[in-house]
Amino acid sequence: MNTFMRWAGILVTIFIAAPLVIVVPMSFSSASSLQFPPPGYWFGYYRAYFTDLDWLIPTWNSVVIASATTLLTMLLVVPATFALVRHKFRGKSVADLMMLMPLAVPHIVMAVGYYSYLGDLGLVHSHMGVILAHTCLSVPIAFLVLSANLKGFDRNLERAALSLGASPTKTFIHVTLPILRPGLIISALFAFVQSFDETVVGIFISGRNAETLPRKMFDSIRQEADPVIAVISTLLFFLVLVGIAAPYFISALRSRVPKPSRSPAGAH
Amino acid sequence: MGSSLSRLTEKTNVWPWLLLAPLGIYMLIFFVVPLVDVAIMSVTDPRLSLVNYERVLTGALYQRVFLNTFLTAAFVTVCCLAVGYPLAYLMAHSKPRTAMFILLLVTMSFWTSFLVRTYSWMVLLGNNGPLIALLQMIGIDDTPQLLFTRFSSTLAMVHILAPYMIMNIFSVMKKIDPALIRSAESLGARGWSLFRHVYLPLTAPGIANGSVLVFVICLGFYVTPVLLGSPREQMIAGLIGHQIDEFLAFGMGSAMAMVLLFITFVILTIYHRRFGLDKLWG
Amino acid sequence: MTSYLELSSITKSYGNFTALDNVSLSVEKGEFVTFLGPSGSGKTTTLMIVAGFEKASGGSVQVGGRSISELAPHDRNIGIVFQNYALFPHKTAAENVYFPLQMRGVGRGKGLRQAEEMLSLVGLKGFGHRHPKELSGGQQQRVALARALVFEPSLLLLDEPLGALDKNLREQMQIEIKRIQRSLGVTTIFVTHDQSEAMSMSDRIVVFEKGRIEQCAAPLDIYHRPQTSFVAAFIGESNLIPATVTNAASREADNPLLGSFEYAGADNRLTDGQAVTLLIRPEHIKLSRNQVENRKNVRMIVDTIVNYGDNALVIGRAGDIPMRVRVLGADVVIIKEGEECCISWTPDSVFVITK
Repeated sequence: MNTFMRWAGILVTIFIAAPLVIVVPMSFSSASSLQFPPPGYWFGYYRAYFTDLDWLIPTWNSVVIASATTLLTMLLVVPATFALVRHKFRGKSVADLMMLMPLAVPHIVMAVGYYSYLGDLGLVHSHMGVILAHTCLSVPIAFLVLSANLKGFDRNLERAALSLGASPTKTFIHVTLPILRPGLIISALFAFVQSFDETVVGIFISGRNAETLPRKMFDSIRQEADPVIAVISTLLFFLVLVGIAAPYFISALRSRVPKPSRSPAGAH
Repeated sequence: MGSSLSRLTEKTNVWPWLLLAPLGIYMLIFFVVPLVDVAIMSVTDPRLSLVNYERVLTGALYQRVFLNTFLTAAFVTVCCLAVGYPLAYLMAHSKPRTAMFILLLVTMSFWTSFLVRTYSWMVLLGNNGPLIALLQMIGIDDTPQLLFTRFSSTLAMVHILAPYMIMNIFSVMKKIDPALIRSAESLGARGWSLFRHVYLPLTAPGIANGSVLVFVICLGFYVTPVLLGSPREQMIAGLIGHQIDEFLAFGMGSAMAMVLLFITFVILTIYHRRFGLDKLWG
Repeated sequence: MTSYLELSSITKSYGNFTALDNVSLSVEKGEFVTFLGPSGSGKTTTLMIVAGFEKASGGSVQVGGRSISELAPHDRNIGIVFQNYALFPHKTAAENVYFPLQMRGVGRGKGLRQAEEMLSLVGLKGFGHRHPKELSGGQQQRVALARALVFEPSLLLLDEPLGALDKNLREQMQIEIKRIQRSLGVTTIFVTHDQSEAMSMSDRIVVFEKGRIEQCAAPLDIYHRPQTSFVAAFIGESNLIPATVTNAASREADNPLLGSFEYAGADNRLTDGQAVTLLIRPEHIKLSRNQVENRKNVRMIVDTIVNYGDNALVIGRAGDIPMRVRVLGADVVIIKEGEECCISWTPDSVFVITK
């Protein structure tokens, strides 16, 4: 069983890795269509991406929309998480479930709904519309991350702060928030990525004026399979790589810093 | 803020409701209402009736699409399991460095958007791509069309959804107390019987979790089947999009969407009764 | 003169369950009082009520003559050391200690200097710049203590603070805490379930059981003159013999199996025929092969001998009454497990418990 599992695992690893890796050489390809192995290598398509407004504008749209979505999501989710983790009240288990509802609804269904609903509100093809829609979709994941963090929070820290003379508000500002900060950042990151990568709803409601990057990519893949997409894929891939590897590097660097000098004799 | 923090063990007050209100109201306006809109459209467009549902539930085309979607989702789930279980096992039992490397790979895949990964498969399976080149190298001259087939669509979906399965199973595997396995071995279980009677049941929650998650996502999958699949074998999400996009048939599209939603809800409710929904995305 | 800390008839109920039943206590200024008892006895609940994190269902708490029952925790000016120290992980040790001063409006420069002084007082001179995760358990303890004392609180509360430390460190910290407490003169309540800790550190011990105070007295009084069987059994090793008073005037009592006893003292007035429990501490019993003159002698069958190196605990039965005798190492050689021997004591080793 052991060796079988091991070999199967290795094969699967290749299966998982290959598609991820393939886009990198493709982005440097000099061919005008998808061809592997590429006939030659150049930076042409990178230059094309960074100078073509047709690509840069959707990129910027996605950044703006994702940022605004993250802000709105966090503003709504943070107080709600506190309510659900720290308080008991009737209907709490229902509320807990409701928070996760958007995860249960297929995006295509939401897309239909938003197309009609935001259309009625005149918000289709606008940044605002996409932000409002994406916020709903980001709420569950932000909540899951933050509530996990909050559940592990040591309440004694807040009791200590209170006993030391900090009012509840001061306790929140000086103790609760700083300690919660990493969790808040990760929660925001999840919300950001969720919005930035969101494709289906964006296809239907972002339109000409607020075209998101995924929508542009989708259209492009459908129509002509522009090699620039390989460039974007590579860039996104490296962003993810940096994002994941960064914490490891930082902590590896930290552990190299020499420890503070030995304690004076007598202290324990 | 005052009463809730200083009376840390005390009873309910209006405070939690105040904290929940902004989100609750927001979700009501921007999540619930659009869904209600879909429901309403399904019975009012083109006129107030159930004709859309009639067509969706009895029409041959639609039945075929639903069946195709269901079967594909089931197939993808099984493949994800076949692919994901060994990998999760490898991750849980390798040297830390190897395990970390594989975890990194899986995490990378997990965080790379569906769109990018779909595109990668287009590159891989294209007529001028590496897979065709490989086939030609080993002597197959009359290479088949790989792209825009059920094969390409399913393969890509398996690749895209596998990380969900892997993460679920892996997290369960990690929590298995090695002492349990050792004591089973000391009681005489070996090899296949050890796996079948001890290890497999212990990992069952992860398998259930991962399978339900993959199945449900696959049911509603839009991007990959539309971009990589055969236009003759659509899945439901693609068909809904088609109805809305091409025909502006909101009534039909909404009815199909409602049916999809209903099926999804039923599956998740069954899961919730048995395991609790929060475990799915834990 | 009213005492410094006054707990008056504190009760606490959760629905039908009564956690505290009429707890009353007076603590003098500068006193070191220990709340001792098993888990669930109510000692921590009482502490939390004094701290303000729990609200009593009835009764009041007064400090320096003024009621604090209605005050929020952050207004009570009480220093608390929690079981897991609760040091702020995102602040250095000095910043942790500075925190209460910061909350009271003391400037950063002056406050950090005061914090460093406090750290020196607890033996951590020069450690101010370290974060809690860079400190050992014992060091974190000291920082928690410094933080709780730097603002000159009216009370110091310690909730089982030494539980996580190993034996040697624990004993060291016991001495340290006592030293600091004495030099600062701060009124202190120390919660523990470890009776030897309570014995060694306290001016007075308050024994809790099932939400009530069983006894409140100085350690030696608790040890030699326990008011209830529970206290007698909880503190130290004990031999408890049920008996009936035969002659209160001449201090005699009788146990059906062991015969008549003389006893030295009782804290309550006794009447003939009263059912009581007699307490004899194991170290007051002499072990021998044969009877000893001028002592009450009883035959005992030895079941187990537990040898601790410098002393041994001989566990056996006198009739069907379990007995425990503590002997110095050398004396144990004379008897073996399974044998019969003679145990004896004098009347002044016998204490009468009425509850």
